[in-house]
Amino acid sequence: MLIIKDLHASVGDKPILKGINLEVKAGEVHAIMGPNGSGKSTLSNVLAGRENATVTSGSVLYQDRDLLALDVEERAREGVFLAFQYPVEIPGVGNVYLLKAALNAQRKHRGLPELDAMDFLALVKDKMKLMEMNETMLYRSVNEGFSGGEKKRNEILQMAVLEPRLAILDETDSGLDIDALKIVANGVNSLRAPDRSMIMVTHYQRLLDYIKPDYVHVLAEGRIVRSGGPELAHELEKHGYAWIGDEPAGAEVKHGS
Amino acid sequence: MSAVIQHYQSEFERAEPLLPWRDAKGWQAWRQSAWSRFAEQGFPSTRHEEWKYTSVAALEKLLLSCAPATPAPLDWASLKDKAVLPEARGRLVFVDGVFQPTLSRVDGLPAGLRMGALSGRSTQDSLKLQGLLEQGQRRTPFTALNAAFVAEGAWVAAEAGVRMEEPLLVLYVATEGQRAMHLANAYEAAEGSAFSVVEQYLGMTDEPYLVNGVTSATLDEGAKISHIKIQQEGARSYHIAALQAVQKRSSQFNSHSFALSGALGRNDIEAILAEPDAAVSMRGLYRVSRRELQDFHTTIRHDSPDCTSDECFKGVLNESGRAVFNGKIRVAPDAQHTLSQQSNHNLLLSDQAEVDTKPQLEIFADDVKCSHGATVGQLDEEQWFYLRSRGLAAEHARALLIEAFALDILTGIDLPVLRDALESLLRKTAHV
Ligand SMILES: Nc1ncnc2c1ncn2[C@@H]1O[C@H](COP(=O)(O)OP(=O)(O)O)[C@@H](O)[C@H]1O
Ligand SMILES: [Mg+2]
Repeated sequence: MLIIKDLHASVGDKPILKGINLEVKAGEVHAIMGPNGSGKSTLSNVLAGRENATVTSGSVLYQDRDLLALDVEERAREGVFLAFQYPVEIPGVGNVYLLKAALNAQRKHRGLPELDAMDFLALVKDKMKLMEMNETMLYRSVNEGFSGGEKKRNEILQMAVLEPRLAILDETDSGLDIDALKIVANGVNSLRAPDRSMIMVTHYQRLLDYIKPDYVHVLAEGRIVRSGGPELAHELEKHGYAWIGDEPAGAEVKHGS
Repeated sequence: MSAVIQHYQSEFERAEPLLPWRDAKGWQAWRQSAWSRFAEQGFPSTRHEEWKYTSVAALEKLLLSCAPATPAPLDWASLKDKAVLPEARGRLVFVDGVFQPTLSRVDGLPAGLRMGALSGRSTQDSLKLQGLLEQGQRRTPFTALNAAFVAEGAWVAAEAGVRMEEPLLVLYVATEGQRAMHLANAYEAAEGSAFSVVEQYLGMTDEPYLVNGVTSATLDEGAKISHIKIQQEGARSYHIAALQAVQKRSSQFNSHSFALSGALGRNDIEAILAEPDAAVSMRGLYRVSRRELQDFHTTIRHDSPDCTSDECFKGVLNESGRAVFNGKIRVAPDAQHTLSQQSNHNLLLSDQAEVDTKPQLEIFADDVKCSHGATVGQLDEEQWFYLRSRGLAAEHARALLIEAFALDILTGIDLPVLRDALESLLRKTAHV
């Protein structure tokens, strides 16, 4: 599904990603954990095509294609979805309008007929139930005046409607109370499928109690310094990020905090 | 005397015998003194503070014809698609400044609400009109020129307590170039009455012409007028207009301006809150591209206590388009408890576009709440990226964001038929 090789990226002159290697196979859920400022959002944005970070070297293959050569919208239509850490408010653009335009852009790209208003609404309302969202949110502007939790739910609603092949969830758990977290996790879990891969970016291991990853990676200062199974998350929880230091992956684990 | 003044002097001598109300006492002298006022000043130059960023030098050189036109007949079918409210129950149509009774309809109006062409008003009424226009016509060289030549326009008068929700339409169509049209509109709302009027200006020629308008709105106690003005003028047109609203106690004046096209537009809009508890909402959208210029000079005079003003203008500037916003708020010494809000937001879509925005607050009372703010910015990258990351094409996402910025100006237009009409007009004209 996704193969990242020795990816380097800078913001301005400042190198942020310093050689990321990661392979995600179809159906897998990978968690990327790391302290604030380690480059998690930068990696997510680079995959989605945001241009404020520049890729200086390395490659990203997505379904055997050069992902970095695709435009932002092409990536989306090909099934890449980024749930933003901070979803932006867009006053004046209707939530329902965006959902429909997004879905139909994707369908058109894939040679499918556009959905008519009735079928579309039925589909969206169905997904909204899953996210326990009030239908009135459809008729509001994108994220405008939404609480932090509503914004995150709205991201997962979009994901549920667009049914991506590769979903990148950037700190989808942050700012959620426990009830909202359960709803969001439930939505994400219902989207797990053999042909759908997910990368969950998170600072805390809390989300991983609800969405079980297949692999956990630790990102520190722009490098993946540890990779392992779900148990790695628990160790991190116990020992904190200081425990990782910035040693390269494979180095001996130092204990203490 | 300059060649320009000489030209308009001979136009005045030629046109004056043909202008309406000539027999009514006072009109000839009134026009004559207006003419002298203009002749003394001439067209304003950019040395004039109020015209600093807006040069009318090219207009001055045109030496336009000012005599009443004899336009070729138009049929309603050819206008219907362009009219913003084709089904309006009250409708006045003017072509090249000449009233077209066959294209107009005023028979479906409620009792106590009258609407018509100014030229059709009695000589006695015309003196009242003179009174209404008097104040406004002293404001700029253009209003003086208007007073000298004014021949036609629209009037609407609502008697006490008469309220009509459905908007009226006043449609001005320009078909012929090289012509100056001096128009006046008079809107009067008696105590407790209410109406909405949409003034739409349609340029159907690419030749240069001038629309020079003066509008007066008078609102008695508890009256409400909503005035919506739409400029869809021709590519080489000049549209210069002055509007003044005088508001009595507890009246509400809503002014919406949409300057959508035209080579040069200049609007001087003034609301005078003359008595307590009056409220004005002044909103506008200007959209410029190519080398167009739109200039809004607004004045809100808080002359009485407990009045409210809410002003918001937005601009979308493309290519080498330019805009000017000058918003003056004057709060008189005894206008305590004034509530005033002003904002001007501009979206610059090209490096060549330019906007000059200036709030001008003159506050002489102490117990007031006045706020103002202006912004000039580009499209929000983060919003643009968000939309594209959901699969929307770059151009589609961009158009959506521009539209969202612009449509926000419709806030306060609650009547669905009007809102829908304006919304679809703004969408339709977005890509010209
Ligand atoms: N637009 C930007 N301009 C300057 N520095 C940035 C910008 N975006 C991110 N950075 C820097 O890049 C580093 C990684 O940030 P980020 O990817 O957001 O980390 P994380 O998501 O792991 O908290 C930080 O040091 C941050 O300060
Ligand atoms: Mg982050």
